[in-house]
Amino acid sequence: MNKVVKIVLNILIVVASLILLVSIVNLASSIKYVNREVEDPAETYAGIFDYLLEKRSYGEVVDDYHFQRRETFDPTTGYENLFLVGEYGHDAFMARVFAEMGDDSRASACRERMRSLRGGMGDYAFAADEIDEMIANAP
Amino acid sequence: MVCENCKHEIGPEQLYCPKCGAKNAFAEKHRENMKQFAREYASTEKEVSRFRKAVEGLGKKAAILVVLMIAIVICTVITSINYADPDEDAAVRRDTEKHIKAYLQQTEELLQQRDYIGFVSFRYAHELQSFPPEEFERFRQVGYVAEEYYECVTGMEEMILRSDDPDYFDGLDSDIEIFCMYVDGFYEVYDVQLEAEKNEVYQGYIRDMEAELLAMLRTYLDMDEAETEAFLELSEAQKAVKVREVLRHE
Repeated sequence: MNKVVKIVLNILIVVASLILLVSIVNLASSIKYVNREVEDPAETYAGIFDYLLEKRSYGEVVDDYHFQRRETFDPTTGYENLFLVGEYGHDAFMARVFAEMGDDSRASACRERMRSLRGGMGDYAFAADEIDEMIANAP
Repeated sequence: MVCENCKHEIGPEQLYCPKCGAKNAFAEKHRENMKQFAREYASTEKEVSRFRKAVEGLGKKAAILVVLMIAIVICTVITSINYADPDEDAAVRRDTEKHIKAYLQQTEELLQQRDYIGFVSFRYAHELQSFPPEEFERFRQVGYVAEEYYECVTGMEEMILRSDDPDYFDGLDSDIEIFCMYVDGFYEVYDVQLEAEKNEVYQGYIRDMEAELLAMLRTYLDMDEAETEAFLELSEAQKAVKVREVLRHE
């Protein structure tokens, strides 16, 4: 009887040792995972943003702006330029809609915001010109 | 004790009386008893030693097993914690519960400014769209319509401001199909929610969204009121053909 217990215990110890070995390997991988280099999405997006501007793809820029705004309503670090250009594009788009509706107060509020956004664009002021041109020539 | 024969004092282990030489019965029995005791003692000792040999090391092994199991549990728990991703949505919901009054006021202000795009974005950013607290129940109808309006406006914006670089894949055709689906979706929601909305101010917002949508179609699809009305009567596929004609200048 005791011999059987001893054999069973030996087997259990071997099995537990193997499981522990696997657990240690998993633990090591998980520690590696925790300390992995995490890409800063804002930094990654900065490159995409410049590419989109280069290609004059303001539709994508405005779409990204709306997406980002649904994540964090106010501009977050690293996305300031996206919020400036995106909001400008949205206001430029809506200004024509309000003008068509005959809602001068909302149309001029849009234009006022556009002026203020353009002032903060710095090197990206060319984007405002291009958006104006695209909106004016649409469809 | 004394000798049964001569009453001379003798020891319990003396087999014969030193004086008269008579046999000491007690000593004889005592000797037998001692022999029996020695035999039993030897047998018990043997048994104990055999048992000790049998169980020797069992405790140690059990202890090793317990230690191994505890180590496995600790490793597993730490591994799970390391791999677990933080629930960011839960953090947003906690923040919303904390600032519910301020967010309620901000939501109302966005509607008053008739910034429906901001209204939808704000609700998403604070998880008010998917998990609206009771206080936000009053925005239910206007929220449904605003969501469809949001998709139509942002979809049209994306198409109008698309890249004119021929080497850039703009995915315009699929955008057009999605846009037409949202326009139909807007009208499906519009009538139902306008009827369900009892608040006149909010009814005004819902009507305003439709007016903006119509103005947007007229402006960016280059249509007059009659053409817009006719456009809305078309099927989703026919709408897509019409939008493609305008935006692709076909």
